[in-house]
Amino acid sequence: MRTWRVMKYLRAIQSAALMTFRQNVFDMFIIFGVLIQPLIIATLALWMIGDRVGETIVFIVVGSGMTGLWTNLLFESGNSITQERWTGTLEMLAATPTPMPVIVFGKNLANVSQSLGSMFVCYSFVSWVFGYQVTIEHPLLFIVSLGMTVIAFVCFGLIIAPIFLLNPSVQRWQNALEYPVYILCGFLFPIALLPGWTTPFSYILPPYWAARALHDASSGGTNTSEIVFSIAMLVVCSLISLIISRTLFRIMLRKVRQDATLGLQ
Amino acid sequence: MNAIEIRNLRRVFKTTIGIIRRKTKEVIAVDDISFSVPQGSLFGLLGPNGAGKTTTVKMLTTLLIPTAGSARVLGYDVVRRADAIRGRIGFIFGGERGLYWRLSGINNLRYFASLYHVDPEVSDKRIPYLLDLVGLEDRGQERVEGYSRGMKQRLHIARTLLHDPEVLFLDEPTMGLDPVGARELRQVIRNLQAEKKTILLTTHYMFEADALCERIAVIDRGRIVAMDTPEGLKHLVSDLSVIEIEVFGLPEDTLAKLRQLPFIDTINVEDHDQRQLLLAHSPSGSEAVPELLAAMDGVRVGKVVVREPTLEDAYVRLVGES
Repeated sequence: MRTWRVMKYLRAIQSAALMTFRQNVFDMFIIFGVLIQPLIIATLALWMIGDRVGETIVFIVVGSGMTGLWTNLLFESGNSITQERWTGTLEMLAATPTPMPVIVFGKNLANVSQSLGSMFVCYSFVSWVFGYQVTIEHPLLFIVSLGMTVIAFVCFGLIIAPIFLLNPSVQRWQNALEYPVYILCGFLFPIALLPGWTTPFSYILPPYWAARALHDASSGGTNTSEIVFSIAMLVVCSLISLIISRTLFRIMLRKVRQDATLGLQ
Repeated sequence: MNAIEIRNLRRVFKTTIGIIRRKTKEVIAVDDISFSVPQGSLFGLLGPNGAGKTTTVKMLTTLLIPTAGSARVLGYDVVRRADAIRGRIGFIFGGERGLYWRLSGINNLRYFASLYHVDPEVSDKRIPYLLDLVGLEDRGQERVEGYSRGMKQRLHIARTLLHDPEVLFLDEPTMGLDPVGARELRQVIRNLQAEKKTILLTTHYMFEADALCERIAVIDRGRIVAMDTPEGLKHLVSDLSVIEIEVFGLPEDTLAKLRQLPFIDTINVEDHDQRQLLLAHSPSGSEAVPELLAAMDGVRVGKVVVREPTLEDAYVRLVGES
């Protein structure tokens, strides 16, 4: 019975992901966030660092790619339920036997997976256009980190989506949430450069552990146990996100059914 | 066994007015209604705009939580056991929303089939069958954004039948369809009726309700004002005849004078471009015509018809009275 249910949900996740991919192909906002913006950031970083690029090149590639991941998560996964409400499809989804978090998980999976294109684009850009040699010191750990980053981002998106729906005032700050996370999570420079009081904020954000795992696995600057620790923290963050999102979704679905805002236009 | 059972159902919406001095206003959309629909029957919910039909359907489809009372579908409570109901019901809300416009019709159906846990082998066969059923077999590969309003409505019908639901909630399903499309849809509903599906239909079209429904509840301002078979509802006005008089410019004072006539039960005016159609319900039948025309002295009159009352006449009387 349980296996049958898991199979049904996996198929629903696959369908939601495929549907989101198909829709995103035509979305210029996503194309900009995933392909163009990371290149602008990478170019700026390369010019700012100038001749001192050297070993920091991997940092720039991974960091710029991470900006695409975060931007896409914040805007696309954050809005995933709100957009459905505007198009009138939220009522249709809420009335299906598939739980809403399962559907949103599939949508987030598509959004985050396609954002990996940012990483690839940045890598190709600095290699071919600027002629820098980019090598990954721990390829296996890098792949594991990348996979776990996707999962952690998808799970984190499950918290953002119901918060944005429950509190439209938070959503108005969406743009303002983009850059602080770039800085707090050390996408482009180590958080050691920031004041000490900001460190706890970095530690509670899954993108920080993702950036740390990817930076360390690619540059090889630390021992493998630190990379494994960052990956473990991504697992912990994912589990915490899942637990919180479960409660948030329950509150959200109850509230929208009470306030009659499922089909709000 | 009853597939749908509603007891003293009530739904109140709260809205706030004003910016600085905010006031909460309560609107009673559904006010203490009770009815039941036996398994395999077709039940109609008739009422004007804002009567509470869609709110009732939304509560039954688990999309809204009632303020008071209880509602059960297939024996399950719509609030506590929503998960047990969702896979066994289907619904259509009139209008174009609720579809993914950037996707093709087929991809919309495939997506919903997986969310309704329809096996891929089953949905592979069922989707072409349903597209054929709703007349979209040649347009299924096209993106929904290019569909007409009627085509979108037909795609909704295919969507709601994907998982072969036991109970169907059809909220104004023929809205936006052309006459041929509406007739075809009524045939689809008849076929579903023949398959012994339980159907709750809301509609504005009286002839549609008359032709399809086994029982009808007339709802107005959230309350059920009458509930019977179509014949039973018509019987409410069987003592009356309907006098239809075509007029060209009817002054308000003349209309007020006509309403005072002792042999007139109710009187309504429908506007048709340059002319109006006066609909008078009277127990006197054709004998009332000369006096009626005399009271309309000076008004240009066209055709005069005296006929038997229809369900629409019963509806007008019920809604007018409530």
